[in-house]
Amino acid sequence: MQIVVNGEAQEILSDCTVFQLLKNQAVTLNATVVEHNGKILKQEYWQGTPLQAGDRLEILIFMGGG
Amino acid sequence: MNDITQSDNLAEDTLLIGGINLHSRLFVGTGKFSSHEIVPQMLEASGSQVVTMALRRVDWKNPQENILNYLPQNTILLPNTSGARTAEEAVRIARLARAAGCGNWVKIEVVQDQRYLLPDNWETLNATEQLVNEGFVVLPYMSPDLGAARRLRDAGAAAIMPLGAPIGSNRGLQTKELIRILIEEISLPIIVDAGIGRPSEAAEAMEMGAAAVLVNTAIATAGDPVFMAQAFRLAVAAGRLGYLAGLGERRLTAEASSPLTGFLQEG
Repeated sequence: MQIVVNGEAQEILSDCTVFQLLKNQAVTLNATVVEHNGKILKQEYWQGTPLQAGDRLEILIFMGGG
Repeated sequence: MNDITQSDNLAEDTLLIGGINLHSRLFVGTGKFSSHEIVPQMLEASGSQVVTMALRRVDWKNPQENILNYLPQNTILLPNTSGARTAEEAVRIARLARAAGCGNWVKIEVVQDQRYLLPDNWETLNATEQLVNEGFVVLPYMSPDLGAARRLRDAGAAAIMPLGAPIGSNRGLQTKELIRILIEEISLPIIVDAGIGRPSEAAEAMEMGAAAVLVNTAIATAGDPVFMAQAFRLAVAAGRLGYLAGLGERRLTAEASSPLTGFLQEG
């Protein structure tokens, strides 16, 4: 099924949670923040949130800035 | 190194923001460094306690990278809302940053102008009002304007951060007179943010009575960023001490420093 991650369409297997997606992409889990369909999804809910076709995810981290 | 900034008259001189007594009046940004590896050394040399960073989409080519991995545990994180063009976008970024577990401080930065990156004071005020109500410690980056600064103060800003010159320009205190007025008229800490390019300019801001300065580009793009961080640390301490000491009066004409004993001309 298709979802949109950081503005780009991505094909993923069904039965995938937000947590599994982050693990599969080897995303750092330190201070990573996820927006799921426009709402902040706290880290404690990543494992229990299955992704559905058409979902929009923003996966954000901190980088250098002034 | 014998730390002159902590061992002399400045040891008791703290800056209270958001309920925290800061010993360092130098805030630093983490952008534009040639590598993240230099950031911890730079921070140590700067003595800074408050550090800014930005929230961005994860880089798929480097998904483990995260500036927080390079900051000491006790750092006070000041995420900025760079990239926001409206109050709404700034509020969204601030909420995301807090959800990431970075505390509740936020530097509001709302910019629509891409050439000079000048902040939009109106949108900045709107974002400040909302985020103060949500319990954030809000430090708004702003164009130095007394009316806007008063409104930001009344909205509950924890400090006011006027620009000295456009971001990254290294042009120093181009807005000096307007900043002087803010320092005189606004009881909140005034932190000069953006434009400071040299240690002497940081010292000048501190001599004027600025509560602190925020420096990024001048350190990050220096030939030796670690040395430059130390130079800024010393300059900020020197300027602050000069301010506390009370600057002597300026005069148009000379006033002799040596007693004018007149024996050479006297009969």
